[in-house]
Amino acid sequence: MLQAMTHASPSLECIAAADGCVLKPGGCWCIDELERLDQLLTSTPVPHDCRLKIDASGLTDLDSAGVMLVVNRLRAQGVVWSNVDLADFNAHQLDLIQLVAERLDARGQPRRRRSALLPLLGRKAAEQIRAMVSQFVFFGRLVEAVSEVVRRPRLLRLRELTTQLETVGLNALPIVMLMTFLIGVVFAFLLGVQVQKFGANIFIVDGVSLAVTRELAPLLTAILVAGRSGAAFTAQIGAMKVTEEIDAIATLGLSPIQVLVLPRLLAIIITLPLLTFVGDVMGVLGSSLVAHAQLDITYYTFFERLKSVLPASTVWFGLAKTPVFAAAIALIACRNGFAVQRDARSVGEYTTKTVVQSLVAVILIDSLFAIAFPEGGL
Amino acid sequence: MSFTGAILQVENLHTHLGDQWLHKGINFSVGRGEVVALIGGSGTGKSVLLRQCIGLTRPSQGKVRLFGEDICALSGRQLNQVRSRYGVLFQEGALFSSMTVAENVAAPLQEHTRLPLKLRNELVAMKIRLAGLPMEAASKRPSELSGGMKKRAALARALALEPELLFLDEPTSGLDPISAREFDHLLRVLCDSLGLTAFMATHDLDTLWGMVDRVIVLYAGKVIANGPVNEVAKLDHDWIRAYFSAHSGRQ
Repeated sequence: MLQAMTHASPSLECIAAADGCVLKPGGCWCIDELERLDQLLTSTPVPHDCRLKIDASGLTDLDSAGVMLVVNRLRAQGVVWSNVDLADFNAHQLDLIQLVAERLDARGQPRRRRSALLPLLGRKAAEQIRAMVSQFVFFGRLVEAVSEVVRRPRLLRLRELTTQLETVGLNALPIVMLMTFLIGVVFAFLLGVQVQKFGANIFIVDGVSLAVTRELAPLLTAILVAGRSGAAFTAQIGAMKVTEEIDAIATLGLSPIQVLVLPRLLAIIITLPLLTFVGDVMGVLGSSLVAHAQLDITYYTFFERLKSVLPASTVWFGLAKTPVFAAAIALIACRNGFAVQRDARSVGEYTTKTVVQSLVAVILIDSLFAIAFPEGGL
Repeated sequence: MSFTGAILQVENLHTHLGDQWLHKGINFSVGRGEVVALIGGSGTGKSVLLRQCIGLTRPSQGKVRLFGEDICALSGRQLNQVRSRYGVLFQEGALFSSMTVAENVAAPLQEHTRLPLKLRNELVAMKIRLAGLPMEAASKRPSELSGGMKKRAALARALALEPELLFLDEPTSGLDPISAREFDHLLRVLCDSLGLTAFMATHDLDTLWGMVDRVIVLYAGKVIANGPVNEVAKLDHDWIRAYFSAHSGRQ
C-alpha cells in the first residue's frame, strides 16, 4: 500500500520472559516502511537458543513484504521459524505468514547467470554453427521450392508477386530517382572542379557516365532496396512467425517458402535492375545539369559525347550485377524473418541484422565483380 | 486508510464502439476484500469494461470510481498515483519480453519505491516464490516460460507493490485444469490474507464455483445479474441457464 499517509510508524521490542523471549512488533509492518523495518530487525538482537514468541497485539498493518522481512531476518539470526509461537495475530495474518514462510522455505535469491569465458565461447560457437546449418537448410528448401515451381508454374502466386512488385519496385521509384539524381549532381560537381584544372571540361562526360552506370547507380539502388524492402521482408515474415501465421500456412498444406519467399525473391530480382536503369538515367541527367551550369557544356554536346564514350556494355555490366544483389538481399531478409523467435524484441533484432548483413553482402558482391571483371564493360 | 466505501464503482457506464452501443448503462460496485467475477458471452465487452476500470480507455458516458475517485476526471499524475494502488494481470501476461522474470517483477518496485537493491531483490524473490514459481525461473526470459509460468510471473509482477486491488483478465485461460485450480487457490489465499480485492473477467466455471464471492453477468450491454454464484446460477434467464449448463454434461 503505497500511501504515505495514516500509517503508524513501526516499532520493535524484544522482552526477555521466563520461558524464553517475546518479540513485540508494533505499528505498520508493510512495504512503505520496509527500510526502517530492516534497520529495526537487524539492530534488535534476538536470542536463538530459547523459545521465541511474537506478540502481534501492537501491530496495525501487515503485508507480505513485512512478513518476508521478519522471516528472513530471524532466520539470518539463526532462529528456526517453525519453533516460533505466533500470538494475537488474526486468522488472515496467520494465513499470510504461513504462506510466505512456507514459500520462502525453498531458500535462495534470484541468481544471476554467471557466464565464464569458456562456456560463453562455446555457446557462441554453437550458435554460429546452428545459424549456419539453418542457413543451408533454408537454402535447400528454397531450391526445392524453386524447382517445384519450375516444374509446375501454376504454383507461383501471381497476386502476391504483383503486390510485391508494386511495393518493392513502383513505390521505391521516387526515392531511387531522387537519390541517384542527387549523387549524379554531387559527383559531377566534384569531378567538374578537377577536370576544370586541366582544361579538360568535356571529359567530365566520360568520368560521370562510367561511374554512375557501372558503380554508383547499381550500388545506391541496392542499398536503398536493402534498407527499404529487405527490412520490410524480415519484419513482415517475423511478425507472421510471432502470430503463428507461418505455422497456419504450413498446416494448410502449403509451403511457407513458396507462399512467402518466392514472390518476394522474384519481385526483388525483377525490379532491382529496372530501378537501377532508372537510376542510371537520373544520375546522368543530374550530372548533365551540373556540366551545363558549371562547365558551360551544352546538353547537346553532353549527350553527343555520351553516345560516343559510353558503350552499352558498361550499362549492361552495371545492370548485370543487380540481380545478384537482389537475390542476396531477399535471401538474407527472408531467412532472418524465419529465424525470428516468438517475442517482440526478436523482430527488431533480426530486422537490424537483415539491414547490416545485406549491406555487407551487396558491397562484398560488388567488390567481387570488380575484381573478377576489371575490364568488364569498358 | 480514510476511505471505506466501495473500492471500485461503475456508474451508468455507456460505451459507443463502431456504430453501436456496447454498454448501455452499467452499474455495479465492488467492496473491499471481495472477489468478484465478470462473466458474459464473447463480444459483450468484458475486456473493454475491464480496460475502462483500469483507466486505459475512457467510457463514452458514465463514471468509473476507483478508491472513491472518478478516474476519468483525474490528471495524468493523479491517475498514476491511483495506478500504484492496483495491479493488473493481463490475459497473455504482458511480461516485458526483453527482461528476465526477476527484472519484470522488479520493474514496478524500481519505478514506485526507493528501496535499496538488497531489499528489492529480497522482495522480488519472495513475490516470485509467492506466485508459485521456482527460483530458477527468475533468471529466465518470458519466451522461455510456459503459459502457466507466464501467468504466475505476471501475477508476481502485479503483486509487487502490495496492491489493494487486483484486476485479472481471464486468469485461468490457457492453463490446464490442475494449474488453473492451483492458481485459483493461490489467488484466494492471497486475497484473504492480504485483504486483496479482486475483479476478474473470466470464462472458467470452476473458478466461479470455487473461489468467487460474487458474479456479475453482462448481457446485451447491461448487467442482468449480480450476486453469489449459487443464486445467479438459479436465475431464469436463457443465457445464464445455457452458460451454467454448458458443463453440466460431465458433472
